Amino acid sequence: MPTLVSVFDRPQDVVAAVTKLKGRGFDDLETYSPAPFEEIDEAVDPKPSIVRVFTLIGGLAGVFTGFFIQIWMSLDWPVKIAGKPFASIPPFVIIGFELTILFGGLLTLIGLLVAGGLYPRFKMDPGYSSRFSGEEFGVVVTCNDRDVAEVDGLLRSNSAKEVNLVEA
Amino acid sequence: MTPPPPPATAVADMIHTPQAPPDSKINRDILAPTRYLSWQWGVLLALAVLGVVQAAATLAYQTYVGLGVAGYQAPIFWGVYIITFVFWIGIGHAGTLISAILFLFRAKWRNAINRGAEAMTVFAVLTAALFPLIHIGRLWKFYFLLPYPNQRGLWVNFKSPLLWDVFAVNTYMTISIVFFYVGLIPDIAVARDRSTGIKKVIYGILSLGWQGSSGQWKAHNRTVLHLSGLATPLVLSVHSIVSWDFAMSIIPGWHATIFAPYFVAGAIFGGFAMVLTVMIPVRRIFGLEEYITDYHFENMSRFILFTSWIVGYAYGIEYFIAWYSAVEPEQTSFWMRAFGPFWISTWIMIFANCVAPQILWFKKMRTHIPTLFVLSVIINIGMWFERYVIIITSLSRDFIPGAWGVYIPSVVELSVLAGSFCWFSMFFLLFIKFFPIVAITEVKELAIHERVHGEAH
Repeated sequence: MPTLVSVFDRPQDVVAAVTKLKGRGFDDLETYSPAPFEEIDEAVDPKPSIVRVFTLIGGLAGVFTGFFIQIWMSLDWPVKIAGKPFASIPPFVIIGFELTILFGGLLTLIGLLVAGGLYPRFKMDPGYSSRFSGEEFGVVVTCNDRDVAEVDGLLRSNSAKEVNLVEA
Repeated sequence: MTPPPPPATAVADMIHTPQAPPDSKINRDILAPTRYLSWQWGVLLALAVLGVVQAAATLAYQTYVGLGVAGYQAPIFWGVYIITFVFWIGIGHAGTLISAILFLFRAKWRNAINRGAEAMTVFAVLTAALFPLIHIGRLWKFYFLLPYPNQRGLWVNFKSPLLWDVFAVNTYMTISIVFFYVGLIPDIAVARDRSTGIKKVIYGILSLGWQGSSGQWKAHNRTVLHLSGLATPLVLSVHSIVSWDFAMSIIPGWHATIFAPYFVAGAIFGGFAMVLTVMIPVRRIFGLEEYITDYHFENMSRFILFTSWIVGYAYGIEYFIAWYSAVEPEQTSFWMRAFGPFWISTWIMIFANCVAPQILWFKKMRTHIPTLFVLSVIINIGMWFERYVIIITSLSRDFIPGAWGVYIPSVVELSVLAGSFCWFSMFFLLFIKFFPIVAITEVKELAIHERVHGEAH
């Protein structure tokens, strides 16, 4: 199937083009952006990122681990310190808090790797170009042979400054 | 009405590869330092490595002979190592403030300086994390700090502030590195697309196949938001916990409830000074005036002025409470601070942290870069002496005069102290050689917004 690689200069044109393309049913598209523009990401896929789930799980795991190891270890070999209970909750809040942050942060990183499909690799997407880490935006659409002209027209009418056809 | 589809042969004829346009100016400017090797950089790196080597040799000597070679004398067994630990941990805080707290407040001016500040944070925390180990003397027993199952069935004391510190510092180090790396990924991808050979391979591995696709940016934005949300309470907790190393004891001069906010404000104060000390030469040497402007330095000097007042207030309130408490050891401790054997460090601290920053009331001073640089160095010295005052004067004058003592840092300690600055500089020099010192994608975000906005009017 042919792939059209179009180049844009302005983020709002990308949003307009993506909205039109999706409206016409061309869902096999991807955008490349040199900087974060949330409106583009929203236009491509309005679903919120799953990173939030990772952070939540990490944070809960951290607070649970923190309190569990402290209470269990304090009771495993009980030592009376400053006349306080063996498992005294107020001082344990501190390490419980630190581990919440630690596990939450590490799981957030894993969430980024999973959600963004990031792993060490050298082969980029066929439509990707080093221009898109410059200052230009890319919209890459894969469609059937017979739709090429329509997609090309849609991209150009939304101020794509060039549209190139590459084979996927 | 849609045009009729072209025949399949015509589609094949339309295929051609895109020609490469000139690269973006932002990329060229910011990646420039990574492209050439200047001899000045080489000399600085060689000096830094030399400093690290001499400190490593001294440390080996101290490890072999024992902690007696440090200047410890009863009752003062916390000296330069602990002072320097607190100093470096504090330095890190400004970086996290800029990258996390100012991100949550949507203060866009942070974009040009956050990378440099985050790098400073990571390297400062890496430096600080060495000092508790150096301080324990028997380096090979460092793992006693961690809760690990052992044949004696013993666990660590979770009610001790020193153990809280172990968890706080390790968490802070890990999260700072994660935050720093997450921010770097898109920028490493920029460098990857513009390099060849072995550099392309290394950048390619580190950039994890980043392409800036919508899904990647969506995940990245979320990640930065969540990490900021996690790092903000973390940074406030870390220096609070460091302050409890002191405040949870009953030593006069340490046993104060104001310590946590006092330490956090001091950390931000000293950290911003260190950002200035580091970024002013970097901007000058690499010609980044277009990205890191005087406006950024002025904003940072406002932070310095503000936190200087918080720190000054804390100094004042400590004296007030000592007097108001009517506790004789407390009053004596504070009298000795200002007029005892360590009076000079106290007055250096007050001058550098409370008096000198007052010049920042004037816009002329806030925008005069050489003045800011000199002032930032003075503040760094002042903040080191602040920890000296807190630790040494308090320990040297506790409850009974019979237990009083005097502490003079030994050559060994000063050598390791000098080595810590070299260690920090070594990492920073290597970083600016191989990675973009200004966050490229964040600067581009502002530049593209500005360009689009300019066109609309």
